[in-house]
Amino acid sequence: MFSLDTTLTLQHFLYVSGALFAIGLAGVMVRRNLIVIFMCLELMLSAANLTLVAFSRYRTEGDLPDYDGQVLLFFIITVAAAEVAVGLAIIVALFRSRETTDVSQITELKH
Amino acid sequence: MPVYALEIIVVGIGLLMLMLDAFADLKDKRAIGYLGVIGLIAVFGLLFVVDRTSSDSPFWQFYSADGKSMFYKGIAVLTTLIVLLMAIDYSPVTIAQTAEPEEGAHPQAGLGEFFSLPLFTCAGLMWMASATHLVSIFVALETVTISFYVLVAYNRRNVGSLEAGVKYLILGALSTGFLVYGMAWLYGMTGSMQLSEIATKLQADGINETGALFAFALLLTAMAFKVGAVPFHQWIPDVYQGAPTPITAFLSVGSKAAGFIIFMRITALYLGNGYLVGKITLVLTILAILTLIVGNLAALPQSNFKRLLAYSSVAHAGFLLMAMASTPTETVAKSGESMSVGSVVSFYLGAYLLMTLLAFLVMTVIRASTSGESISSYAGIARTNPFLATALLFSMASLAGIPLTVGFFGKLFVFKLAFEQEQWILLACGIIGACAGFYYYLKIAASMFLSSPNEGETVPAIRVSPAAAICMVLLMAAIIYGGINPSLLLKLVG
Repeated sequence: MFSLDTTLTLQHFLYVSGALFAIGLAGVMVRRNLIVIFMCLELMLSAANLTLVAFSRYRTEGDLPDYDGQVLLFFIITVAAAEVAVGLAIIVALFRSRETTDVSQITELKH
Repeated sequence: MPVYALEIIVVGIGLLMLMLDAFADLKDKRAIGYLGVIGLIAVFGLLFVVDRTSSDSPFWQFYSADGKSMFYKGIAVLTTLIVLLMAIDYSPVTIAQTAEPEEGAHPQAGLGEFFSLPLFTCAGLMWMASATHLVSIFVALETVTISFYVLVAYNRRNVGSLEAGVKYLILGALSTGFLVYGMAWLYGMTGSMQLSEIATKLQADGINETGALFAFALLLTAMAFKVGAVPFHQWIPDVYQGAPTPITAFLSVGSKAAGFIIFMRITALYLGNGYLVGKITLVLTILAILTLIVGNLAALPQSNFKRLLAYSSVAHAGFLLMAMASTPTETVAKSGESMSVGSVVSFYLGAYLLMTLLAFLVMTVIRASTSGESISSYAGIARTNPFLATALLFSMASLAGIPLTVGFFGKLFVFKLAFEQEQWILLACGIIGACAGFYYYLKIAASMFLSSPNEGETVPAIRVSPAAAICMVLLMAAIIYGGINPSLLLKLVG
């Protein structure tokens, strides 16, 4: 299945992007450092991007790929950048007042 | 004037406010807030006169202007309007918790942005009400979410607010990840991004049903985060408690309404396919049962008023999900007279807006004069502040669903729908939830009117600003009018 002489199919891309998504999700749940969690979240978005490009490339109309999926990808990249800009600012503000980025120590709000 | 001009106007007002904050030499920055209020009143008026005809232009693939989108645009504008009024009353707290004591700085520095950001959120909510394409849904949803990140963490000298901001950031971004991955799979399975085309493709033969269900599962996770359905509700109490009170109100009404309109649009895609609809109804039923039980029972022991309202918001999401899980299936023939799921959900959200915003309005006014947010600090408040106590009583009665309030009809329509679809387990859970609701909402009313204030915690008579007082009277009138004669709201819902 993974021998070198076979051509790459849509499935291969979906396996990789699915693995990326799972790694990102596992990282969000397991890791304790806010910055690492944030990186894992970006990994999940990249997984979605790879899925979109793969579906778009393998759904051809004539000889051209269906560009709808690739357009959404550019919106996702832009929004992710905006999210990082705001997110890191909030994390920095929290770090200034608490001097930690460890989520297990951020427990001001309790029942 | 076309419908989409409204979003442009709202963004324009927001930018104008931001510029005024930066460049105009204002003594009292609350003027910026009042400018926003006036602008939104004008936009609300324009909602009724805009030109709603669509054309063949590709733009209308992304945008719709049907009655339902107009109703949700109205919800967005009204919510933002009342949130701005709250933010004006809340400004002493905002100033105390943001401004750095700096030489030569404006004493109200940082207040202006707190008034202009809700306008951008409002534009996103309005756009979301009309979005009919995966790209426009995504962009509108993120406009709302990202401006909420800033607003929740706004009181940056308050650790609780920052912590709430970080929690909202991480879980919001997580739900975005699920949403985008789900959209990618939905696109992959159907080859289209336009909602009506996706719906057609999902009914066609040869559709990969497993893939389509996988996409739905991912999208459902994202939507459940947004509306606060169990088991994706853990962020709600913490974020609601930590966020500035006006923003908590905005989250619980605006964000929830927007989440539900997208939720309904995405669920509606799958309703044409007989195989998929059975699976989806089952999942929605389980989600609704969990949300009803957990939301209502977890609200019972709460002692912080904001946390109580947070669990109450989870509970109301449960009632809304109960309506969505009662989608007519083929086995039960749909009678001509019953209301559609969309109308029931919209009516409930309209009622929820009135009563929740009234509760938060009273809470903001009290919070700006005292420091307490615990329920015990509301004890005996009726003696010193009879008007505020009466307003809160109306809101609690309606949230509990007592007859003669609009909340009663909201619940009645949901129960009727579940009854018609023979969802007996769901109905039983709904009744248990509603009974629990009576206890925890009326506990507050009883504490305000019947008990005497704690030693040394007497709340002084609070002066209510005229704008907030008018707003409270109007909301109380609307709650009662809707409870006696719901036909007007029903007509708006369509």
